[in-house]
Amino acid sequence: MQRLVYNMKYIDILERKLGRKATKAEIEAFTVMWSEHCGYSHTKGYIRQLPRVGFGGNAGIVPLDDYHFIAFKVESHNHPSAVEPFNGAATGVGGIIRDILAMGARPTAVLDSLHMDKITEGIIDGISDYGNSIGVPTVGGELRISNYYKYNPLVNVMAVGIGKNEHLIPSMAKRAGQVIVIFGGATGRDGIHGASFASEDLTGEKATKLSIQVGDPFAEKMLIEAFLEMVEEGLVEGAQDLGAGGVLSATSELVAKADLGAVVHLERIALREPDMNPVEILISESQERMAVVTSPEKADRVIEIARKHLLFADIAAEVTKTGQYVAKYNGKTVIDVPAKLLEESPEESIYDYTPSEMPKFSWIKFKDIDAHEVFERYDYMVGTDTVVKPGYGPAVMRVKGSCGYSLVIHSRADLGFQDPYWAAYITLLESVRKTLAVGARPLAITDGINYADPDVEPEGLAAQMMGLKNACEFSNVPVASGNASLYNTYKGKGIPPTLVIGMIGKLEDLNVPRPKKGPVYALGFKDFELEREKILWNEIERIAKSGHFVVSMHDFSTMSTLKSELQNVGLEMKLKIPKCEPAHQLVVVFGDVETKLPKELIGYVR
Amino acid sequence: MTRSFPKAQVVVYPGSNCDRDALWALKYVGFDAEFIGIHDHIDADLVILPGGFSYGDYLRVGAVAAREPIASEIKDFVNRGGLVIGICNGFQILIEMRLLSGALLQNSTGKFICKVVELEVSDITTPFTNYFIKGERILLPIAHGFGRYVKTDELKTNVVFRYTEDVNGSDEFIAGVSNNDKNVIGLMPHPERSIERLICSDDGLRVFLSAFNYIKLKKTQEDQKANAKVGV
Repeated sequence: MQRLVYNMKYIDILERKLGRKATKAEIEAFTVMWSEHCGYSHTKGYIRQLPRVGFGGNAGIVPLDDYHFIAFKVESHNHPSAVEPFNGAATGVGGIIRDILAMGARPTAVLDSLHMDKITEGIIDGISDYGNSIGVPTVGGELRISNYYKYNPLVNVMAVGIGKNEHLIPSMAKRAGQVIVIFGGATGRDGIHGASFASEDLTGEKATKLSIQVGDPFAEKMLIEAFLEMVEEGLVEGAQDLGAGGVLSATSELVAKADLGAVVHLERIALREPDMNPVEILISESQERMAVVTSPEKADRVIEIARKHLLFADIAAEVTKTGQYVAKYNGKTVIDVPAKLLEESPEESIYDYTPSEMPKFSWIKFKDIDAHEVFERYDYMVGTDTVVKPGYGPAVMRVKGSCGYSLVIHSRADLGFQDPYWAAYITLLESVRKTLAVGARPLAITDGINYADPDVEPEGLAAQMMGLKNACEFSNVPVASGNASLYNTYKGKGIPPTLVIGMIGKLEDLNVPRPKKGPVYALGFKDFELEREKILWNEIERIAKSGHFVVSMHDFSTMSTLKSELQNVGLEMKLKIPKCEPAHQLVVVFGDVETKLPKELIGYVR
Repeated sequence: MTRSFPKAQVVVYPGSNCDRDALWALKYVGFDAEFIGIHDHIDADLVILPGGFSYGDYLRVGAVAAREPIASEIKDFVNRGGLVIGICNGFQILIEMRLLSGALLQNSTGKFICKVVELEVSDITTPFTNYFIKGERILLPIAHGFGRYVKTDELKTNVVFRYTEDVNGSDEFIAGVSNNDKNVIGLMPHPERSIERLICSDDGLRVFLSAFNYIKLKKTQEDQKANAKVGV
């Protein structure tokens, strides 16, 4: 069959490493695995420099209390959402949920960071339809409306899960002789070369709907329950979700990380379209599938559990000690390459960036909208662990019988335009302020890099990554996971550098401050000086712990959501918007507080 | 002699997603509670059909779940006087099973709605509402896309909860109904999500407390009768 064949960018490197001409199947396979989306060619050098914690699995891992870990990660689905908003956004939720699941955690919350030129119904519906069905609450997010995202909307979804320490699952195989069971929905042609498509400009014929995956939330829900049952029974020795790169990416990553090999039997993959050719089966990005590494004697039970949950399942591969990744179809070899080579995507050189003084930023405003019309279409309560609902800023969740955790997702594309270094820096600092404002202590972050063309403007990416690194070191908050979406361009014109930060924090006390009647103050400084930041943090922490509601926002003229939320609980907020620089050190405090910082009465809550 | 404890079962359909919340609420008020699947047998005083998206709600909401083997178990249980609560998708399933009258259509806004709404308790004589005061206004969360209740049979519609304003286009603001025997109740709002002040409100707690005490009282009376018979 005829299909769009991508010009492979790194063909010369591939053939040099193979020491021969690449076959057609190999070109298809490596086009996927070495795409920017899978291979992180432009960013892995920068990522290596970040202070990291619990890094390297399907999602970042941080201990929460003595018994539980928290798994979390942000992922973008920008390109698919531009072409097919509903399924693009829906499968964005599905994909990141499976990353959390693969760590052995039950997904407990979703947040989304949306940058669009208007409220795109398809994107909201996609998130709502998928997230609501699978029973994971969408507890927060940010909604940034600006014309800069007319052709390249950004859909970044952050998912969080809680697991028991004894259930933490490695994202790799352990030894030869293990088997890999693939289970989930059936495999179709949807999403073939989705990874490659997501790594290019969005203009013209390449932006085809054929590269978009189609979501099936019911299958995802069954997959979640089936997988957690397998984990509970101790059957899962390693796991990887099937996302970009499908069977190929999941199975090769599992073995390559352990210097092992695999023999994959493609005829055992359940198909939705029976006439698919072997390479299509290998690289299809059909959703709602997982790969589980287990011992041969446990495989039957794994398959039984999957089938009980109405899913397809079969032993798709054996783990070998050869180090070769062999895919066969009815005994005939489709590809046979070193497993490591698939993982070793070429690395682009990184740029050194020397930060300069922070410039005087000018205001680039996002539209002020009441986000209720969006988040009231998401089930934010299922699971009965949502302590602070959307509308107040950061979300606060609890673990029944234990502590709580805060969730923030935040970005500053308005500054990104003007100085990517300081934009990244300030995004992180503001995330810390937001976390402290609900009485939480920051634990770690996940970073979502959204960038235009790194080949045209490499300095901006370098600046952004350096800003993130320095801010993490300044704040002593490590990075646990991340995602990079590059080539967010249309006809060569790109989006502003948009670094999305997802931060989790820990709360011992679940009595989070709420807005009460009384005076409202602006507290802090109208401009920004780095030396003052930690003084501000101490004040926010102290004031929040004394029971006062604190709002940290970058633009206080966009308080419609909070205002209408207060109206819902019978409070009326009347404020004179404090004037400040785009980069400032101002927070809004509800109630009378003693402080050494400058304080100005700006209004009342009645 | 042993006195059996009020026992509840939550039916987990493929695609249910409020099953764990319902179990948590039942245990919170003291029920001996467990999950059962669609091929299991009912052995309980109270059965809950939880919220969620059974079979993805890809067909008419609740239509597939209403035709599972557990359906005849539930019908027998209801005929024996057993108590059943259907919440959200569970309400939709009860309607599809014709254990409750009416129909649940897509919200008049055409969109999913998740928020806390005010309700009025219209009937406090059911086993699920005797802890309320007649006409009392309470807060419960809703989270549904297909919650617009339409009356189809006046005689069989016993309204238990009403919204205090138009939320989703329901006839007469109806949010929950029972059968004429009042042992089966279905409602779109989620009482299991509002059992703690910390999380939402605790007005839903009384639905479970009502049922718990109703069952406890009934069991006590039965035990007394049995004891009187054998002359203990």
